[in-house]
Amino acid sequence: MTRDEARDVLGRALAAAKGLEMEVVLGGGRSELTRFANNEITQNVSERRYVLSVRVARGRRTGRATGNDLSDDGIARLVRRADEAARLSPEIENLLPLADPQEYREVDAHDAATASLGPDARAAAVERAVARCREAGVDAAGIYESGEGSIGEYGTIAPLAIANTKGLFAHHEGTAARFTISAMDGAASGWASSESHASRDLDADAIAERAVEKAVRSRKPERWEPGRYTVVLEPAAVSDLLTDTAWLSFGALPVQEGRSFLSGKIGQPVLGGNVTIRDDPYHPLHRGLPFDAEGMPVTPVTVVDRGVAASPVYDRQTAAKEGKASTGHGLPYPNPFGPIAGHLVLEGGTGSVDDLVSRVDRGLLVTRVWYTNVVDTMTATLTGMTRDGLFAIEGGRVRGAVQNFRFNQSVVRMLNEVEGLSAVERVGGVVCPGLLVRSFHMSSGTEF
Amino acid sequence: MDELVREALDTAVARGAGYADARLLETLREDLIVKDGCLAGLEQTESRGIGVRVLVDGAWGYAATDSATRESVQACAAHAVAIGRASARVLAKPVRLAPEPPHRAVWSSPCAVDPFAVPLDRKLDLLLRIDAALRSVKGVTIAESFLTFVRRRQRFLSSEGADIDQTVTRSGGGYAATAVSGNEVQRRSYPQAEGHHQTMGWEFIESIPWVEEAPRVAEEAVALLSAEPCPSGEMDVVLEGSQLALQIHESVGHPSELDRVLGMEANYAGASFLTLDKLRTLRFGSPQVTLVADATLPHGLSTFAFDDEGVAAQRWPIVQEGLFTGYLTSRELAHRVGEARSRGCVRTDGWHHIPMIRMVNLSLMPGAGSLEDLLGDTDHGIYMETNRSWSIDQLRYNFQFKTEIAWEIRRGKRIRMLRNPTYQGITTQFWNSCDFVCGEDAWRPWGVVNCGKGQPGQVADMTHGAAPARFRKVRVGVGYDD
Repeated sequence: MTRDEARDVLGRALAAAKGLEMEVVLGGGRSELTRFANNEITQNVSERRYVLSVRVARGRRTGRATGNDLSDDGIARLVRRADEAARLSPEIENLLPLADPQEYREVDAHDAATASLGPDARAAAVERAVARCREAGVDAAGIYESGEGSIGEYGTIAPLAIANTKGLFAHHEGTAARFTISAMDGAASGWASSESHASRDLDADAIAERAVEKAVRSRKPERWEPGRYTVVLEPAAVSDLLTDTAWLSFGALPVQEGRSFLSGKIGQPVLGGNVTIRDDPYHPLHRGLPFDAEGMPVTPVTVVDRGVAASPVYDRQTAAKEGKASTGHGLPYPNPFGPIAGHLVLEGGTGSVDDLVSRVDRGLLVTRVWYTNVVDTMTATLTGMTRDGLFAIEGGRVRGAVQNFRFNQSVVRMLNEVEGLSAVERVGGVVCPGLLVRSFHMSSGTEF
Repeated sequence: MDELVREALDTAVARGAGYADARLLETLREDLIVKDGCLAGLEQTESRGIGVRVLVDGAWGYAATDSATRESVQACAAHAVAIGRASARVLAKPVRLAPEPPHRAVWSSPCAVDPFAVPLDRKLDLLLRIDAALRSVKGVTIAESFLTFVRRRQRFLSSEGADIDQTVTRSGGGYAATAVSGNEVQRRSYPQAEGHHQTMGWEFIESIPWVEEAPRVAEEAVALLSAEPCPSGEMDVVLEGSQLALQIHESVGHPSELDRVLGMEANYAGASFLTLDKLRTLRFGSPQVTLVADATLPHGLSTFAFDDEGVAAQRWPIVQEGLFTGYLTSRELAHRVGEARSRGCVRTDGWHHIPMIRMVNLSLMPGAGSLEDLLGDTDHGIYMETNRSWSIDQLRYNFQFKTEIAWEIRRGKRIRMLRNPTYQGITTQFWNSCDFVCGEDAWRPWGVVNCGKGQPGQVADMTHGAAPARFRKVRVGVGYDD
């Protein structure tokens, strides 16, 4: 939705406020996804969806209503519901007034070709990837996704625009594209992915080639005993582990509640000296939203600076508690989760993943991990499975395949034992490098 | 809006769809959250839109819109057909749908007291009383409680003549106390980790002793801070019903979804070890293990009259006395396992998403005896209660779970509380080690409301009934990085 269109919707909503203090958030867009499996397209979908969320503030009381009927009647109904909720809600002792107007950085994130990419263009790319897999004697499964706006994973919708009765207005327009492929040979599989704000950056043929190479190499895996191994984690694996850790630990709320490994440790070394973690939507590989769901501009935050705990990310409420300014990482208020670091950057080195492999005498190369979940909060101990390409490294070279492992690994410990970092790429919504890590805990095996 | 659904269907057929269905879905949801005495969420969410699914030259297309004008609905249907045509470019074999009579029906789930008619202040009062009871226990760091109500009305029309109007109302809630000390973060929740939900009205909320149970729950959270850690090794494990529900979900439900079995989820959620050769040949579990899929289960979260492609609700065994006997199927895939008709397992989480195979209610059938009988029959083991984390591999063999709390059992009695209990296993070995399932009096339906699957990702809910059960020689105390 263009700036003018968004301003019209939010303006109509604010006009319906009729004297109420009100904040309105508009999100949504268009999302299309071509899905394939067994070398054919199995699902092909398109959705157009916008939602408007209205928060009314009455003194220390507040209430919210959200809906997708953007007609004048629909908006009036939302305002009535939000106001009713605000009237009935108990007082919030430390409820902050609505934010004043803010200034935002422009982020160049909209690509017209991606916004208009149609099913035929996606089908053509899928057709070529499938042909390559057929040629190699493996089955292809994957997605080609493109869209415009802010529809995210599992239908979550981030703000496109936000306004309030104090005159605040923010708008951001972006596009996104992603091509992901698994090449399957029975239980053996290889996986590769590419994502960008612009579909022209995706090289579906190269991605398919990489998945095929991994699948072919994954045939006849050896069974290794569980234990501690030197591992090279490809960026996809690092991304997954880092995302879970950020949810657990990088927001100010868990830090304030004593549930984060950063709690009480600001200014102290917590990770290895070669680890710097930031949250930065302005990174050229991210091109993310420059404001949060409270309308605050996003400030890049260094969470861990060369191993030293620097700062969590803040929303307005957690910042006020410490007499600080919001860093612009708020979710729609009120919420029980606190602020979230949504544009993670783990700074990397200059070499490739292959360069990391060349430094390992005996170990494992991990393509990606799957179904990670939290075992221990304070140490960010995660469990999960390796998947779609686990390989033996011997004498600095990738050898044959190894049967998959379950791992139980503290990410805090892991990031204290990083011996090498490759150049960064964006994968799974995170900008990060591959990592060379000693003593990674593979705790049990599985059947393939 | 009814005429718009018809318009969508007619447009799709006129544009060349060999088959088409159109769904108008209206959802109203209310969420209330209280955290540490403060309102942390109070929101009503409404959503309405139309989704059009087509087969063109044997290939699928789907488009959805929230715009309620005749022109936009026509454009949406035309776009679905164009997408289907593009799909046909990369098609191995045309899709064939198993026959289903074109049902015409109106159905609503039972709802004695409309939860949306209950005043907000009454709901908030309940949450604030729970909150006060949790925080009255010294040592509680965080108290959180919530109520959630969902009403979903769907009008489904198909080019075969189906015309189905279904309304489902769901009510639920839950709470948790968290205690933090040093490096320990302990949590106890009630009635289960993600709350307890059923397709009922406000009467479901009133049937649960929320406030009465809160002090016990909070005291257990605090006590866990100083409890002994769960030992490591192989041991007999007794799982309480809600934990067993998640075990069923992850290690029985997902692997028996036929789309996974056939590789259609391979890129994301994974495939399944229950390949077609395993049907009626695999000894999945011990003779005590019978698991039944049942879309007619009273008050289940996936209880309906018809699934989202118009197939009537059914009940059938997935595992019969230990033998693997059936899959969760769709009209597209039923014939791949020699079945003439779909089992009716296709659902969607909204008008914007295409329906796909999702678990219907799947339950472990009760055996005999009480929990006391089971514990009394256990010489040395661990009793584990309430899920805290879960993980399983992409073919659904290697799983690991953590529960909130456990007790060591010695000579038939619970002798001490244990913190950070975990267990790990391989699916068929685990279910074959089951030697005791409690009886009907101990059997409860447990709802799951956060099941993720598909691309674009969809969230579904379903119910798993279970009574406590015992599993022999399970690896416990496995989840820590030391």
